Amino acid sequence: PYSVNLACSLPPVPCVTPPAAPSRTLQWDTDPSVLQLQADSELGRRTHRLGPSKITQVDFLPREVVSYCKETQTPLAAHQSEDEEEEEEVTEQKAGPENDLQEEEESKDTKEGHPRELTEEEKQQVLHSEEFLIFFDRSIRVMERALAEDSNIFFDYSGRDLEEKEGDLQGGSSLSLNRLFYDEHWSKHRVITCLDWSPQLYHPLLCSLSLSHLSPVSTLLSSYFQYPELLVASYNNNEDAPHEPDGVALVWNMKFKKTTPEYIYHCQSPVVSVGFARFHPNLLVGGTYSGQIVLWDNRSHRRTPVQRTPLSAAAHTHPVYCVNVVGTQNANNLITVSTDGRMCSWNLDMLSQPQESMELVYNKSKPVAVTGMAFPTGDVNNYIVGSEEGTVYTASRHGSKAGICEMFEGHQGPVTGISCHSAVGPVDFSHLFVTSSFDWTVKLWSTKQNKPLYSFEDNADYVYDVMWSPVHPSLFAAVDGMGRLDLWNLNNDTEVPTASVTIEGAPALNRVRWAAGGKEVAVGDSEGRVWIYDVGELAVPHSEDWAHFGHTLMEIRANHGDGEEEGPVELAT
Amino acid sequence: MAEVEETIKRIQSQKGVQGIIIVNAEGIPIKSTLDNSSTVQYAGNVHQLLMKARGMVRDIDPQNDLTFLRVRSKKNEIMIAPDKDYFLIVVQNPTE
Repeated sequence: PYSVNLACSLPPVPCVTPPAAPSRTLQWDTDPSVLQLQADSELGRRTHRLGPSKITQVDFLPREVVSYCKETQTPLAAHQSEDEEEEEEVTEQKAGPENDLQEEEESKDTKEGHPRELTEEEKQQVLHSEEFLIFFDRSIRVMERALAEDSNIFFDYSGRDLEEKEGDLQGGSSLSLNRLFYDEHWSKHRVITCLDWSPQLYHPLLCSLSLSHLSPVSTLLSSYFQYPELLVASYNNNEDAPHEPDGVALVWNMKFKKTTPEYIYHCQSPVVSVGFARFHPNLLVGGTYSGQIVLWDNRSHRRTPVQRTPLSAAAHTHPVYCVNVVGTQNANNLITVSTDGRMCSWNLDMLSQPQESMELVYNKSKPVAVTGMAFPTGDVNNYIVGSEEGTVYTASRHGSKAGICEMFEGHQGPVTGISCHSAVGPVDFSHLFVTSSFDWTVKLWSTKQNKPLYSFEDNADYVYDVMWSPVHPSLFAAVDGMGRLDLWNLNNDTEVPTASVTIEGAPALNRVRWAAGGKEVAVGDSEGRVWIYDVGELAVPHSEDWAHFGHTLMEIRANHGDGEEEGPVELAT
Repeated sequence: MAEVEETIKRIQSQKGVQGIIIVNAEGIPIKSTLDNSSTVQYAGNVHQLLMKARGMVRDIDPQNDLTFLRVRSKKNEIMIAPDKDYFLIVVQNPTE
């Protein structure tokens, strides 16, 4: 009689998979009598050589019983929570992290009663939500303006000492400081590379945009185009803060007293030129050091560009110092020129590749290293560029003579600024332009002759920028590296500036821009500060100024003609 | 998010600003630079006032809506910028 040990396998019997219950190793559901039968049968009669056999031991983990662990912590709040509130609070919290903020809001709307506390988690969720950020951005803007306008309506003149009125009078000059725009975080240690005022609207009809579905605050802010009090400044990189974005553009507002920028934008490469995109009220175009053109949009609350051009050989690979939107409302292009002489024309809706591009080459020799570009008023085809060598060229975009046309020699150092005459009046002076250069001079030119009409030599340092007044025919502003802002009124004097002021601290002044109305001048310096100066009576043009300027020009030509050995070459226009 | 913090800190440090509170549409404070009890007090009261003011504006002209509310008192000024889902309260002492 063999004791059938189930643990020991009988050789001819195949191994069967053991069951779930670890206690049995063989799935024998056999009746003991059957076993006995088998034992008595053939199987049983043979002598079994019993030997150890491998036992497959399988461990099955106990089945997981899914149990829900609800952690509820009653917030430590000082105020009452009704019974029904508590219940709802509990269910609310369980569903909290998974639910949409929207749903939470909705369920909260249905509840009434005393305000309850939100958990830290819920608060954080709210603070990170998109709609909160939009609300916050708008409301803070309004609030800051309200805080800044701190006119005390209750001020009692009889009872208190009057504070001395701070005058901004600077001697007898017509230039007086109005504002200083500077932001501790974004302006510090950055050089201002470019300035642009929001273009003035010429058609009042366009002002009445119907944006009634937006809240009043956003209607106010949705378009740059109608608000000439806006000024954009672009900034270089901050060497002291390598982790901050290299390129910054800030939009400042003249209208309100608050000292923080209206909009803050940044990008990865230093922004070397910036401008409000004419005909595109919400866009800001920036040219960067890397050659990329970036587009910021004030409708999106992102601070990074909404569009950028590719960094490819088809576009620009050198710093883009000139960005200009030219054309009309229906047909306009963005023209950009980089320092390797490449000019590209873009469609603002599609910045993935330029519509056309061309190398600016003079006389089939090497490309012009362009430092500045200007379009004469009303012209969308012909333009003027200044170069690093000091030469100025006229060029055209289309036509048989597309590319560089004429060369204008005169400057002995790189050209830093070009400005075409823009004041519209009884006499047309649109052929005139002024240029500034490292050679300490500002020169007056006409597109009709390739030598300067006149050279203004009152500066003792690099002249970094120059700009004609948009309203006065004989007035232009120039800034230099010694902190001087000069206003030249040629009808008054051509030897010295009519008004001059040295900016506080005498920083190098990089840019000067007249406001569209011609009454203010914005100056950007090397320390990241934008100074706004009011120009007084000097800036106001009178109708006889045009005729007067005509005479001034004749005098200039006459005097110049006497001094020159070889007369300037008259150019066919 | 850090920008929100930064902005609130900056406004808080401006001359005369005593406190900033952000409240949701229900009157529950989300963020505040004041202590808890003051926050709750301001939030609750402002909420009620806001509802009343908004109701008044709408009552007089249903097409109109409340955009800003300023409450000037002897000691300070409470400025409220309401919105659809939240409102921002800033308490300042303008003569400081």
